[in-house]
Amino acid sequence: MESQIKKIHQQLVSKEITCTALVQGKLDLLQQNTYNSVNSTLDVLALELAAKVDAKIANGETIGLLEGIPFGIKDVYMLQGTYTTASSDLLKNYKSPYTATAIQKLLDAGAIPLVKENCDSFGHGSSSENTIFGAVKNAVNPELVAGGSSGGSAVNVAKKYTVFSIGGDTGGSIRQPAGYNHIYGFKPTYGRVSRYGLMAYASSTDCVGPLAKSIEDIRIVLNVMSGKDPKDQTSIASTEISEEAISVSSIKTVGYFKNFIESEAIDAKIKADFLAAIEKIKAKGIEVKELDFFKSDILVSTYYTLAMAETASNLSRLDGTNYGNRIEGENLIDTYAVTRSENFSEETKRRIVGGNQVLSQGFSEGIYLKGLALRDQISQNFSKDFEEVDIVLSPVTPSTPPKIGDSLKDPLAMYLSDAYTVGFSLGQLPTLTVPQGTSTGLQITAAKNNDELVLQFANFLKDTI
Amino acid sequence: MTVDILSSIKGAQPSESVNQLFDVIKNASSNDNPSNNVNYNCVSVSDLREDVVIESSAMEKQLILENFPNKKNGFLVVAKVIEG
Repeated sequence: MESQIKKIHQQLVSKEITCTALVQGKLDLLQQNTYNSVNSTLDVLALELAAKVDAKIANGETIGLLEGIPFGIKDVYMLQGTYTTASSDLLKNYKSPYTATAIQKLLDAGAIPLVKENCDSFGHGSSSENTIFGAVKNAVNPELVAGGSSGGSAVNVAKKYTVFSIGGDTGGSIRQPAGYNHIYGFKPTYGRVSRYGLMAYASSTDCVGPLAKSIEDIRIVLNVMSGKDPKDQTSIASTEISEEAISVSSIKTVGYFKNFIESEAIDAKIKADFLAAIEKIKAKGIEVKELDFFKSDILVSTYYTLAMAETASNLSRLDGTNYGNRIEGENLIDTYAVTRSENFSEETKRRIVGGNQVLSQGFSEGIYLKGLALRDQISQNFSKDFEEVDIVLSPVTPSTPPKIGDSLKDPLAMYLSDAYTVGFSLGQLPTLTVPQGTSTGLQITAAKNNDELVLQFANFLKDTI
Repeated sequence: MTVDILSSIKGAQPSESVNQLFDVIKNASSNDNPSNNVNYNCVSVSDLREDVVIESSAMEKQLILENFPNKKNGFLVVAKVIEG
């Protein structure tokens, strides 16, 4: 699909549409939608900003490419004065005191925020069912889950309620819902986009990234959000990716993980489609190599061990005194316990308890520290692989989206469904889901800081398979 | 200390599903060479941001006050502390 941002920009500049009509139309769609993709709409702010864009155009002033473009925000990002609930009871009345860096950069470029989007509470989930706003329904088949945790964002983009949305990806939370809803979703190299103002889940893998309907829109939004930020000391400097730089592919070698495809857990159709895509790539003269990698259960267990430990620490501030909806108890400690027991979802409690288990004396050496060591080995494995290949291609998920309700019954099955996404999170590698190749898409991964190569290969695939 | 106390969650118990994940790690083979730490994200001392106090805007202060769960006679009320 062509760039929606460029198309709407042209329509605004040529006065084919007004920004106010555009924004009002999208707000109407969001409010009337039955997919549970919306936590709150930002009507007053959005219409105020739209009127300013219209005034500029009427005065004959030039507008920037993102000026007047409506977008959505996963409800874990701060936007000053708006409710930021993390889809949780604990923060259902919490208002952002400040604005996240990534969102501020989009506002500075003139983009218009329309909606805070439904997601798994605190990013804890792979189906967007673990939320106080109702399970998000899949954009293609509403009986199925939207994926998660950025499920609302993926559905809003897929249904064209937003032109693009900003999701958060810790273990696959942008890439998997993008795959389930047939759109593009990009997890950049860790640190390329500042995490300041994103509610922390697992700080060492949390990434800010865009979901959109075209590679070009992903590129445009990524460029605006990227950059080193003094407010996030893990953020890194990066260079802008030009349209020309990704228009011609320089990729000569592609690899894929043999054990992902030979796994008993993979759906037969996804496997066959993936291998067919590999054949088409070979037919274009690209060398394809089979690579050895860690077993899926090791990847999933390493990821969840570290993510649970980090989330147990990050969420300890949500106690009804520092943050959140307080429920008074008999004394301070009881108040903390009642507040957290009543306000956290079952999945969030499961992860906090798991995190505290692995961080406690007697367990940390055998589990948490070993998890850290395994993570290092996984990263080393990636470094070695990217000496041999330019790109790693993988399915996004082993199977198709489950029916709404099924994931909640079997948490272990939900964790294991992240088998193909979590490894790249642990490696902090740039990875893009493209809505091609298999029914839940393909993931394109490059070495750290090679985000440009990922988008370049995505353009190549668009015309190849 | 038990996990319900550590987590400040009443009656919390370890989950069977999560324990199965941890068992995989316990049984995995790993080489613990610390020099292999390729996920080293620490910031160098020369790259630390300036240690300056930045005054919050009036709007930010107002929103922080609004978020506080309990107010009485113009004061923010914290939970009752444990005595003794």
